[in-house]
Amino acid sequence: MARKPIDWSPSNWPKLLYQFFTSFKVATAVFVLMTLVTLLGTLAQVDQGLYAAKVKYFHSFFFTDKIFGIPVLLPGGLLLMIILTINMILGALVKVRKRWRGAGLLVSHFGMIMLLAGGFVTWAFATDGYMALYPGMSSNRVESYRDWQLEVFPLDENGRAKQSWILPSDELQSIRVDEQRSYDADGLPFHVIINGFTKNATPIPTASIKSSSGKGKEIDGFKLVPQDASKEAEQNLPGAYVAFDPDGEGEGIEAILWAGSYRFDPGEDPMPFPFTIDGQLYGAMLAKKSWNVPFEVRLDEFIFERHPGVSTARNYESRVTRVEGEKETSLEIKMNEPMRFAGYTFFQESFGPSDGKPGEMFSQFAVANNPADQWPLWSLVVTTIGLMIHFCVMLVDFIIRSRRKTAAATQS
Amino acid sequence: MRFLPSFILLTTATMLVSCGDSGPSGAQIVTRELPGSHQSFRLVDSSAERFRYQKRDAATAAGATPASTAPDLVYTTPEGWKEQAGSMMRDVNLTFGDNDEGECYVARLPGAGGGLLANVNRWRTQMGAEALTAEEVEALPKKPLFGQPATFMTVDGDFSPGMGSTEVKKNHRLLGLILASEAGAVFVKMTGPKELVTENEAAFDVFTSSLDVSLN
Repeated sequence: MARKPIDWSPSNWPKLLYQFFTSFKVATAVFVLMTLVTLLGTLAQVDQGLYAAKVKYFHSFFFTDKIFGIPVLLPGGLLLMIILTINMILGALVKVRKRWRGAGLLVSHFGMIMLLAGGFVTWAFATDGYMALYPGMSSNRVESYRDWQLEVFPLDENGRAKQSWILPSDELQSIRVDEQRSYDADGLPFHVIINGFTKNATPIPTASIKSSSGKGKEIDGFKLVPQDASKEAEQNLPGAYVAFDPDGEGEGIEAILWAGSYRFDPGEDPMPFPFTIDGQLYGAMLAKKSWNVPFEVRLDEFIFERHPGVSTARNYESRVTRVEGEKETSLEIKMNEPMRFAGYTFFQESFGPSDGKPGEMFSQFAVANNPADQWPLWSLVVTTIGLMIHFCVMLVDFIIRSRRKTAAATQS
Repeated sequence: MRFLPSFILLTTATMLVSCGDSGPSGAQIVTRELPGSHQSFRLVDSSAERFRYQKRDAATAAGATPASTAPDLVYTTPEGWKEQAGSMMRDVNLTFGDNDEGECYVARLPGAGGGLLANVNRWRTQMGAEALTAEEVEALPKKPLFGQPATFMTVDGDFSPGMGSTEVKKNHRLLGLILASEAGAVFVKMTGPKELVTENEAAFDVFTSSLDVSLN
């Protein structure tokens, strides 16, 4: 029998799209591609590290990879998840014939859509960072592990600042090493010109032979030399050539800003590049992206024990006070016993410095905020209920049909 | 057959939609109030200080005789490592571990310092391992030292330090980096209990990659 030709007229596009998205073949193709992407992404973690592989393979619409030495364009995990979600909503919930016999499958598909939606919410809205405190210190500020932003601030005579102009991390980190971009802002009496941003770099004295691989300008006896990106993204220390230009004519005060000048211990202060324009002292630095949590955490005591004779930690835990306005709550944060409050989870993550003595060490908490952190659990519950309903329906159906067959055989 | 054309249509449309430019520069700068814990800064006088370059001449700082007339060295001391007094043979002398049972030193010698093969096998002998052939030494991995590819070696065994000592240290590991040329030889040697050295392998890389000659 000859097939009917496809009607490609624009008026028929909605129908074509609906047919495409509700197709069982699309679901099958997506599952096959997801298997391939998962395999490639997992293997890539060995060379590229966890974070870089996650971004390239699973948080992308498309990516290119070499398969048997041939570059191939493949759909990324994000695109596949979106197509699968639409396919399941349209194909398994909307298009499917609604019958009581199919109620269980309907519920279980709803559970799977919840799981996919949870993944999207996590990707779009979840944050993770850390807070490090010495005993007696308190903070409501969480810092990113791997996102860096440019901060410029006026300094008073004591080297303190109350307000900062910030070039956000998304914008800063999108600048290429050979690219120039200029920025200005209300109240900022000069243009900020970025002459190249490097994701991982080291300032090297020009007296050293190692500086010869740096293509950038020499400033104050240093060149910024790009380094290979680390597998662990949080270990990268970016750098940038920056100029502060009062009149916008392309000249101005030039500096190399490097992430290594920021603080790596909660007890130390960052070292900005100081410069003066129109008699006002300013500071500029690359700083970790940071955000507030709606309460303060004060570290009262950090308990740290090592195994005898070796440097390996045996146990470490923190006694903290959570401060919400006038209300103070004392609690402990231990390994596997996080503090959950107001949507944030504080895990006991690490400590430092590594040569510190008990009583003189800081405690570091991983701080996660994921609006969908319980969704996988609930989606599995819903899916399980759906499959149980389906199992019961099929069982009853089987028993009824068996009885009918038996009755029919008896009668004949 | 309807599946394939639809798939191509959708894929092309999605690619076109997702291929956007991140855009040129604009007024993306925002302001924020700094919290109390982020209001103080350390203002330093020089870029060298801001980039954490500090002259650390361990030998002279500890009151010992400088190892040679070669230029002073600058380097990053990994977290948890301690500087010790240098000696006639050691330009930099560091220890690590709870009881300073791990050590790492840098030695510089004029000329080839006896050659690569002899030094690799001297260190292997100290660990009770068999000597390597010239081809095997040639095939050892390389790591950067002073911007040059240096020969990297790892040996496990029972460590006999020599130099008058008869002590044999069981289950140790040695990491070595040798840069030998007619212009001079540089040796970086790290030894200690195997588990401790394994824990500090990344710190060894941090230390060796930071080594440089002083600006002064």
